[in-house]
Amino acid sequence: METILFLSPSEGALSKNALEALATAKQLADSLGTTFSVGLWGDAPQAAADGIASCSATKFLAVTGAEFAQSRYATDAAAAEALGRASGATIIIGPSCSRWNRVLAGVAHRLGGRADSHVTGLSASNGAPAIARWYYRQRMEGILTRTQRPWVLAVESGIAPAWDGAPGTAAVEPVACASAGVRSNVTGIEAPAADQQTIRPDAELLFVTGAGWTKKQPDGQVKTEAAQKLILDFLRLSRASLGSTKSLVDLHGEGVATLTFLNHMNQVGQTGSTPRHVKGLSTCCHGEEPHTVGWRFIGERRAISLDAGCGWARGKADVLYVADAFAVMEKVNALLAR
Amino acid sequence: MPEYQIVVCGSIVPDPLQTLEPISGPAGPALKNEMMLPAWLDPWAGHALFEAANLASKNPGSKVWLVALGPKAKLQQVMMTLAQKVPFELVALDGPAGGFTDASETAAALAEAIQAIPGLDRSRMLVFGGWESASRGTGTTMQIVGEILGITDQFQGVDEIKIEASGALRILERIEGGRHQVSLCDAPPALLGWATGNLPEPRNNPQVGMANMRTIMPALQKAKPTKVGADGLTFSSVAVPKQARDTKIVKDLPADQIAAEIVEWITNK
Amino acid sequence: MGHSPRNARNHAVSGSENPERPQMEADIVCVGFGPASGGFLTTLARGILNPDGSTAIESGVAPGMPLQVMCYERADDLGFGVSGVVTRARGIRESFPELDSAEIPMAAPVASEKILYLLDPVGASRRPALMRLADVAIRALGPVLRVKDDAMELPWTPDFLEKHGGLVLSMGQFTQWVAQQVMGTGAAQIWPGSPVGEAIIEDDGVAGIRLVDQGVAKDGKPSDGFMPGMEVRAPLTVVADGPVGPIGQQLDRAFGIPEGHHTHDWALGMKFVVDLPETCDLEPGTVLHTLGYPEPEIFGFFYVHPNRVASMGIFVPSWFDSPARTAYRYLQHWMLHPAIWRQVKGGHLRSWGAKTLQESGRRGEPRLAGNGFARIGEGSGSTNVLTNSGVDEAWTTGVILAEGVLELLKNKQPFTAENLESAYVARRRGSWVDKDGRIAERGRDGFQRGIIPGMIGMMLAGLTKGLVAMPGKPMPPHQRVKTLEEYYRGRIAPDEIRAIRKESDAKGISAHAALMERAGWPQIPFDGELLVSHQDALLIGGKVQAPAGYADHVEFLYPSDCGTCDSKICIEMCSGQAIYPGENGLPAFDREKCVHCGACLWNCASANPDDPERGRINFHAGAGGLHSAEN
Ligand SMILES: Cc1cc2nc3c(=O)[nH]c(=O)nc-3n(C[C@H](O)[C@H](O)[C@H](O)COP(=O)(O)OP(=O)(O)OC[C@H]3O[C@@H](n4cnc5c(N)ncnc54)[C@H](O)[C@@H]3O)c2cc1C
Ligand SMILES: Cc1cc2nc3c(=O)[nH]c(=O)nc-3n(C[C@H](O)[C@H](O)[C@H](O)COP(=O)(O)OP(=O)(O)OC[C@H]3O[C@@H](n4cnc5c(N)ncnc54)[C@H](O)[C@@H]3O)c2cc1C
Ligand code: SF4
Ligand code: SF4
Repeated sequence: METILFLSPSEGALSKNALEALATAKQLADSLGTTFSVGLWGDAPQAAADGIASCSATKFLAVTGAEFAQSRYATDAAAAEALGRASGATIIIGPSCSRWNRVLAGVAHRLGGRADSHVTGLSASNGAPAIARWYYRQRMEGILTRTQRPWVLAVESGIAPAWDGAPGTAAVEPVACASAGVRSNVTGIEAPAADQQTIRPDAELLFVTGAGWTKKQPDGQVKTEAAQKLILDFLRLSRASLGSTKSLVDLHGEGVATLTFLNHMNQVGQTGSTPRHVKGLSTCCHGEEPHTVGWRFIGERRAISLDAGCGWARGKADVLYVADAFAVMEKVNALLAR
Repeated sequence: MPEYQIVVCGSIVPDPLQTLEPISGPAGPALKNEMMLPAWLDPWAGHALFEAANLASKNPGSKVWLVALGPKAKLQQVMMTLAQKVPFELVALDGPAGGFTDASETAAALAEAIQAIPGLDRSRMLVFGGWESASRGTGTTMQIVGEILGITDQFQGVDEIKIEASGALRILERIEGGRHQVSLCDAPPALLGWATGNLPEPRNNPQVGMANMRTIMPALQKAKPTKVGADGLTFSSVAVPKQARDTKIVKDLPADQIAAEIVEWITNK
Repeated sequence: MGHSPRNARNHAVSGSENPERPQMEADIVCVGFGPASGGFLTTLARGILNPDGSTAIESGVAPGMPLQVMCYERADDLGFGVSGVVTRARGIRESFPELDSAEIPMAAPVASEKILYLLDPVGASRRPALMRLADVAIRALGPVLRVKDDAMELPWTPDFLEKHGGLVLSMGQFTQWVAQQVMGTGAAQIWPGSPVGEAIIEDDGVAGIRLVDQGVAKDGKPSDGFMPGMEVRAPLTVVADGPVGPIGQQLDRAFGIPEGHHTHDWALGMKFVVDLPETCDLEPGTVLHTLGYPEPEIFGFFYVHPNRVASMGIFVPSWFDSPARTAYRYLQHWMLHPAIWRQVKGGHLRSWGAKTLQESGRRGEPRLAGNGFARIGEGSGSTNVLTNSGVDEAWTTGVILAEGVLELLKNKQPFTAENLESAYVARRRGSWVDKDGRIAERGRDGFQRGIIPGMIGMMLAGLTKGLVAMPGKPMPPHQRVKTLEEYYRGRIAPDEIRAIRKESDAKGISAHAALMERAGWPQIPFDGELLVSHQDALLIGGKVQAPAGYADHVEFLYPSDCGTCDSKICIEMCSGQAIYPGENGLPAFDREKCVHCGACLWNCASANPDDPERGRINFHAGAGGLHSAEN
């Protein structure tokens, strides 16, 4: 019989990603015919516990302390380890956030178990849980089971609807955890200036830009500045998140006049991130199969390219507009501005 | 000036441009033609190595090792390219480098190899690796290496390291929303899983290649056969997803109309 | 104006202007890693070290160490070359007497051989009248002649073409395997990603090589991160850079080639590596040659590897006079021939590649050795033009050189022209490579006069062991190139050709597809599996890469004169669509699509005013190209 622990750091209320992982844990418990408990850590995890008080967890465990507020390996791993032990869980499920991803394998190691990250599906057949996850930079998907326990997992965002229930008051059982020997401290966050903020994980739309924006156009001109303005205007008006192909971010490194606000973190695809948004619009991209994989995780997809053979479109998008993106996006911006 | 001992863990992956297909063999899933595909150092591990070399060159007296677990013949081939990039000493383990090997087994082998490097001094040690591999793609190997080595100052998705005047390490990690978290770590030992970093790929330098070769060939010759696999795992399937959509191709529509369609689509919840 | 070619780039930034150019010394430096270097290094390695790994021959430049041997290969990895390959493997088997073909991925012993004459199923092929008559007769006698799927199997394979006892190989996998063996001994280092820019020519000899500069702009001028190419000085430089190697060309220019020799004949070989369908029951080791289609001048090959994989392709020879001869399009028409399509339909394209062959064979032999240098492989005229085989021949020239070099080293004799002449050239003269090369020497001359005299000539030379051949005078390539108007006379009106050209110039693409379609060739039914656009082949099959920081390796020497060139054959034939109509329709080069086939080196319609044997394109040493180790 499996026992399940949903685990998450808490920085105030739980994030959307964490609520999705909670829903996944609950669903797995239901389909295995078992129960689950909740483990939280932070400086004041009670608030987060209260937020999910009605989630039908059998227990709420928490490690509390100011030192557990920081996103830091030593304290995060210690807290998660303590919660894992206290719960006696055989399956531990957390969200794919930077904090949990940083420590889950170390925690599994300490608990004598095994870890799997980037889980995109959880199922149970005949009482045995199985997970789905990607290999080779999202190019093939495997479905697998494990004998080792505890099995420590991080589930991707966007794979299940977030848990949505009434808040209440959770009876939190404190779990003791030592935090001696801390040698690292978080001193801040570096974020692009608000008007340069182009990555918006929660946006409905992902706007993908390709190297075409910086290439010679049919009239023989390169129009990088116009491109820059069109893209930034569109992001401002639509609140979309900005993605880019590798070619386009690489141009940046090669010193070619290019879009100044892009960096490697915008890169979508095989060696870049694979964000999951409801809709995606790709513009001026070509990219071949291995590198358009990130695109696969977008729900509805449309593309604008001069090239009808565009690799982001053929067989991969719902609609391909064979058109000049400069002309189209200008009109789009005009319409959105109204 | 601190003299660092930087151990980089990294192995080979198929050149990302290749078409990859899974097959199932007696020992579980594997890549079709794995040994025939051109290979290259795992990209994020590559960045780790280049960052390590950069840090070492700025802190004279520092030294870089590359600990690589992979099929010896393929490792040898990749080393001929890699050796030209930056100076390092190779520690080779002869075993599989495929993505279906379990991270914990790979990590155990790597940690054992690191512990066997003579003269390592924990107070100067930095363990580098790729944040995630382009094969297994989990981002879980390095943490376990760190745990076995007893390093609890670990950082993942690192894009930058700077040494403060105090000797503390200032580290930038990627976090949600395209932001970076800034941490200060008092001193080594520390473990860093690198993302892209900020360095361009170094040029091929034949002299560096020649110098590296003095340790690479002997390291390959004495590469220890290493058995790693995926004990306890059972794959019910591994498949390349079919992703054919019926793409509606819209040609010869004026920009105005396309724009109207798009705006309707993006504003329609 | 215009008759002043730009300086060869490497000179512009070399030597004294750049004091920081790093230098190194070696005993032997080798240019290129193909079969020729493979044979050389395999043999040399066994002589440098004793079986127990101790030093047998000590280095002259690093006392106390074994001989220091460096080999530099331009491609991004070893095994990125392109070839057929079926080979008798005579020399290769002598080097590896115990060879089990199962050790080498994709290798299989030759199991069966066939030659197919392909009839024209679409009616667009330009066949001479005599051939058309023969086709009618063949169709009429179909059942008797075992005509099936528009193809007739020749009743026998002439002796000289037979590869019994030989091997079907993948060039990439074979060279990788050889490299592993060589480097495993520790006796030589083979460095990929290292184009050799030029030979250091001093005192009527070669004193080593210079690698190309990095951190330069497209025109070769220093830019960000400039790093001058290293100079490697060595008593012996082994030039094994293949048919279009820039170092071979440099030496030809510097030292001349023997009287009466020329490299006028060449061909482009282009191939697909295909996963055969489950339904295909061809045995590994099956060897199929075709002739007759898509054009009578184009020969085809189809070799079956283990695990249901095949190498298949065509050769487009220099004496096929169409100025709109993109091999890619022809390769697709050839694959669609019912006799071939039947075997591959339902399969999947895995890889793609192209490379040119020097088809003057022994008559293209340069000076094989001089002070401090020796030449081996196809660039040294080793390829047998009668049988279209060059791998084993190149390998064997490498073996022969290594034997000579070991002898000189043991006797502590320097690598002078005289010593190399007796230790290498004399040995080579006594070898089967030279003997077979002589037989083949004039075997293709007949093709200068047409396909039928050519075929007869080939048979004559083959069957009489070179005693009889069909006469014909090979011309420099540019003299053979017709204008589009000439070639399409009676088929497409000059006005229409002009209109097609104008339209394609505006789109920045070559005109051949439109021309071929106008001349009756059907459109290619793309299926995304075996039939993909040329552009997609660059991405899916061939994976072309062009690392930043290197100079463009294709250089138009008289760009302003290209305006008056009416065939623009450099654009029409480019294997990667890397040469395209740029501003005002003048040829422009996009390195990111270049597969380094070398066709543009030979393939220009105008003579170089400084050297009428050459065209107006310089083909330098460049990095990048195809990323496939299966071709
Ligand atoms: C090791 C490696 C890893 C890689 N990893 C990734 C990865 O993770 N992600 C990734 O994306 N790529 C990756 N790539 C790069 C990938 O191979 C492609 O080269 C790249 O994705 C193509 O970029 P692109 O679509 O921006 O540009 P291009 O191929 O240059 O395409 C430009 C397109 O823009 C169109 N266009 C131009 N002007 C207009 C206009 N006015 N209106 C409409 N359309 C226009 C053109 O028709 C063309 O189709 C990787 C490459 C390598 C070597
Ligand atoms: C499509 C095709 C099919 C063929 N089929 C057959 C067949 O069935 N049987 C057969 O026997 N032969 C065949 N051949 C011929 C055979 O491939 C060649 O004769 C053989 O490869 C010649 O070997 P090589 O070592 O002399 O030169 P190459 O194989 O050309 O090797 C030369 C090497 O030097 C490198 N190089 C060039 N310039 C530089 C530089 N400046 N710096 C560093 N490196 C450099 C090149 O990248 C290359 O790797 C075929 C050829 C083609 C193109
Ligand atoms: S430009 Fe490159 S691909 Fe085109 S013909 Fe020349 S070598 Fe071949
Ligand atoms: S390079 Fe030669 S073939 Fe090409 S346009 Fe110029 S003259 Fe004509």
